[in-house]
Amino acid sequence: MNGHQIQSKIISMGIEVINAVRQRTLDQYTEGPSVKESRLFFLLLPFFDGKNWSPEIEASAKTVSIVYAALHAHDQVREDAPIIKEQQLTVLAGDLYSGIYYQMLVNTKNIAMVQQLASAIIQVSEKKTSFFEGRVRPLEEVEEAINIIETELLMAFYNYYGFTEYAPLAKQALLYIRYADELERLQAKDYTHALLELNANLVHEIYTEHWLLEKLDSLHRQISASIAECSLDYEVENFLLHQITPHQHRAEQLTREG
Amino acid sequence: MEKMKLKLLYSDLRPELEMIEKELEQAVDSKSLLLNDASLHLLQAGGKRIRPVFVLLAGKFGDYNIDVMKRVAVPLELIHMASLVHDDVIDESEIRRGRPTVKAQWNNSVAMYTGDFILARALERITEIESPRIHEILSKTLIEVCRGEIIQIKDKHKLDQNLRDYFRRIKRKTALLISSSCELGALVSGTDEKTAAHLRRFGYFIGMSFQIIDDILDFTSTDEELGKPAGSDFIQGNITLPILCARKDPEIYTMLKANLNKDLTDEERLMIVNTIRNSSAIEEAKAMSERYLEKALRELSFLPKGRAVKTMRKIAFFIGKRNF
Repeated sequence: MNGHQIQSKIISMGIEVINAVRQRTLDQYTEGPSVKESRLFFLLLPFFDGKNWSPEIEASAKTVSIVYAALHAHDQVREDAPIIKEQQLTVLAGDLYSGIYYQMLVNTKNIAMVQQLASAIIQVSEKKTSFFEGRVRPLEEVEEAINIIETELLMAFYNYYGFTEYAPLAKQALLYIRYADELERLQAKDYTHALLELNANLVHEIYTEHWLLEKLDSLHRQISASIAECSLDYEVENFLLHQITPHQHRAEQLTREG
Repeated sequence: MEKMKLKLLYSDLRPELEMIEKELEQAVDSKSLLLNDASLHLLQAGGKRIRPVFVLLAGKFGDYNIDVMKRVAVPLELIHMASLVHDDVIDESEIRRGRPTVKAQWNNSVAMYTGDFILARALERITEIESPRIHEILSKTLIEVCRGEIIQIKDKHKLDQNLRDYFRRIKRKTALLISSSCELGALVSGTDEKTAAHLRRFGYFIGMSFQIIDDILDFTSTDEELGKPAGSDFIQGNITLPILCARKDPEIYTMLKANLNKDLTDEERLMIVNTIRNSSAIEEAKAMSERYLEKALRELSFLPKGRAVKTMRKIAFFIGKRNF
């Protein structure tokens, strides 16, 4: 499977996910479901790597993507008052997507997967809420929270279908993407809850920047090692390294420039 | 007070409902202290627990086993709770059942995650039941409830909508979950299809009647009784049955149109509330609620006579006549 075919499969799955949750009023007023290429890539990774891939597995992969979209919609609800129509509908978009993932799995008689995903959502919700507890936690706890938020749904899918060999690589890559995003936001002074906690923990944002850059370097090294361990096909490896986790942030860059 | 009266009606079920209450507490138990607090805050605010009651009562027509019944009753109440906590964000409600809402006590984000957590707990629990039929009904209900709420937001401030739009909206918003509670209670206890269908329809009609009364009370109750300003539906742009009935009067129509979608002073709000109260709209709306109530009672007449039917009838009458 070459890079073009990988990209096509990701795009077509993304379109199917969007079509599954389409609703006219939501299309008109909300930004629509968030379907990230990186998550689709890792949901499809066993398929790209030639693993046994049935219609049931593909349907499950789609529902995981829908759950990510549901939870993402609720992340977009702000604290502004008065609440505007777009925000009200964003709340309902998340709820509707949750109903749809449940129904899709019920239609394929996959009740066990509903249970797996529900358990993962519980953990993700617990970790998302932890950023509002107003206490400074050890960095390891913050990392663990981010780890669960980014990867738990995918892990539920891997565990259920026995694709756990890809778990370390997927975790490292999804964390890499999250930290790269946090770094960009930090540089743009667009502080997320995670950044606020890291800043409080590390005393000053320059140390947060350094911490993130080091994390990215370390994760990049881990990703390379995990790719070798998974013995991925060259095209899949190439796609992952260049399209999904291109390494643009290096710790030494900061040292040199600053 | 009224809630206590209602609870007296189903005092036969007290031991089972106490068990359900404990199960609800266990269900919202979380490793996150904040989620735990927020969920318990919501749970301890109480509620009529009308959905678990209907699940249990419907179960009385089949092979009633509380350990099986609670597997449906608990998730249905959790689903209702999850929707309330999100609704409070949508409606910017600060108070529910006399207590600060989760969004008011903490913030919108905590309310969103609490709702997601509670819904996931509901699904985690109900998946202990393997019957595909149960899940087909419930998943369809969840989707329809959301669609109803989406339509409600889309139709806000539209005074020229028709009655059918209103009934379709309240069906999805309220009646479906009550209807499903009755049907799922019946199915999980193994009743025959015919009984389950009568119970489903009973739940639907009673749910419609319940919501119409709720919409009437928004105009006829005091701010203190409601725990929010009377006329809140109109303030939020929700066009309910009393408004749809009142707008037939051209003068009232003009007044309503002029006041929709604007920040109302307290004086203006009370003027609108009083106009609706003094119009024939309240009686007309009550008559429609009454019609649904009659249909609900008719469904009960097809069911085997016994305590469950008696209690359901009493609840139906209470819902139809409640004044708060």
